[in-house]
Amino acid sequence: MNAPKIKIFLVDDHPLVREWLTNLIHQQPDLLVCGESEDAPHALAAITASRPDVAIVDISLKHGSGIELIKNLKVMLPGVAIIVLSMHDERLYAERALRAGARGYIMKRETAKKVITAIRHVLAGKIYMSETLSAVFAEKFVDGKLPAGGSLVEQLSDRELETFQLLGKGYETRQVAEIMNISMKTVQAHCAHIKEKLKLTNAAELLREAVRWQENHPAG
Amino acid sequence: MLQFVNRLENRSRRVLITLALLIIALIGLVDYLTGHEISFSVFYLLGVALAVWFVGWGFGALISVTSVGVWLLGDFASGAQFSGPLVPIWNALVLLTFYLVVVWLLARLRLFHQELEAQVRQRTAALTDEMAERERLERELLEISEREQRRFGQDLHDGLCQHLTGATLAGQVLEEKLAALNLAEAADASKVVEIVEEGINLSRRLAKGLYPVELAADGLMLALEEFAATSRELFKVACHFECDSPVLFHDPVTAGHLYRIAQEAVGNAIKHGKARNILIRLDVSEESTGLSIKDDGLGLPEPLPEKRGLGLRIMAHRSGMIGGTFIARRETTGGTLIACELRAEARRKPPSQTPP
Repeated sequence: MNAPKIKIFLVDDHPLVREWLTNLIHQQPDLLVCGESEDAPHALAAITASRPDVAIVDISLKHGSGIELIKNLKVMLPGVAIIVLSMHDERLYAERALRAGARGYIMKRETAKKVITAIRHVLAGKIYMSETLSAVFAEKFVDGKLPAGGSLVEQLSDRELETFQLLGKGYETRQVAEIMNISMKTVQAHCAHIKEKLKLTNAAELLREAVRWQENHPAG
Repeated sequence: MLQFVNRLENRSRRVLITLALLIIALIGLVDYLTGHEISFSVFYLLGVALAVWFVGWGFGALISVTSVGVWLLGDFASGAQFSGPLVPIWNALVLLTFYLVVVWLLARLRLFHQELEAQVRQRTAALTDEMAERERLERELLEISEREQRRFGQDLHDGLCQHLTGATLAGQVLEEKLAALNLAEAADASKVVEIVEEGINLSRRLAKGLYPVELAADGLMLALEEFAATSRELFKVACHFECDSPVLFHDPVTAGHLYRIAQEAVGNAIKHGKARNILIRLDVSEESTGLSIKDDGLGLPEPLPEKRGLGLRIMAHRSGMIGGTFIARRETTGGTLIACELRAEARRKPPSQTPP
């Protein structure tokens, strides 16, 4: 008898993509598309019901956010390996998606050639990303820009940490200055030190890092 | 002189009437003191003119009659002798006629003057309306083009690109089926997939140009960062984006305009300024938030040509639409500085509990 097939669930708001992604996956004898959905709210229910091994999720959906869906899945169904399919540039969005809990990131223009490899990768328990992106991450790691377990944040002074936390909570530089009762110049100096200590290149990265840290340390 | 007339124009009627009467009395007194042999009749015109111009033709006529009376009285009082009783009457009538002609002329002139002023006011009002309307249309035009670009970009990104993705997937299925049959055509199918993938790349880049700023608050920082990277890649110039502390924009329209200003400025720096180094900055201080683009190119031509480049005009316009102050100048150190300063209130929004 045939071994039970590996089940894959698709979340994408474009029917043509879903249809041909299904056809492509079905070329593989051991893979089966067990369901599909075009929006986040419906997807969560359907995935919970069908219990797939892998979910392929487009993060920009017409209804609901793909990133939120990934976070929910990560909590509710940690056994489902998620691969993100996105039209967006991996340099800007892959880190976000992977940190939300995805195990793979594929840019849509490369899907055809890479999706099967990605599925195999995540099924084997590995993380899948393009070679370009792995190179970027490797470089960041070597430069110490990717903190191992947030240890770099511990190097911040109390005032810097407070700035970092407030930025992570969504306050703007000006509001941070008001809340901490210091001048904007001082906030900017704190930001500069934080960037230096956390080895971040720019303010956008600083903000992303602060928001991510805040999400992981909500009590702070 | 004009200032003096203007100052009189603003006085009340009572003051002016008193002034006219005083002048007549004063001239009458001088006339009497200088004796009847020296004629002072022409000086009474000062009071007459004042009366017509500032009070009206009726009062002008009254002052004329009074002037003639005062003049006649003065002459009699200073002991003038006439050969017959008709002579002073004749002289008085001639003088009165002369004064009345002046009154009539001045009254007409005054009327023309007033009509002209009314006309100028009317035209100015029409022109002001016209200018406001023009500005409104310009703004609307920019909004429409922005909206259309956004829509077009979104259609490209969400429609065409997805459709092409479907096509690459279908091509891949075909390739695998052909490969399973051991047919050499599998390589062709693979080529088709690559070509369509390149097509996705092209249309994505096109979409990015039309619809650059994502709606999240940190969208502008991300967009400018990506834009600087793309400019480096495409034009082989050192284009960098700097931002010391996070600058958030909760209004996508403001962010969109700032992005377009940066895009235009960088384009100009490369195309016209032949710049090698370009620095885009977002700065925030207590009072304002500023976008600036500095380059080391040829600098703006000085003085600016009559027909200022459309680019500069549109940048200034965009800046105005989001309530910003626009600066475009040649730097003393060479190169150009383009900047848009927004007052703090333009971006202020209460903090939300959820992170951006």
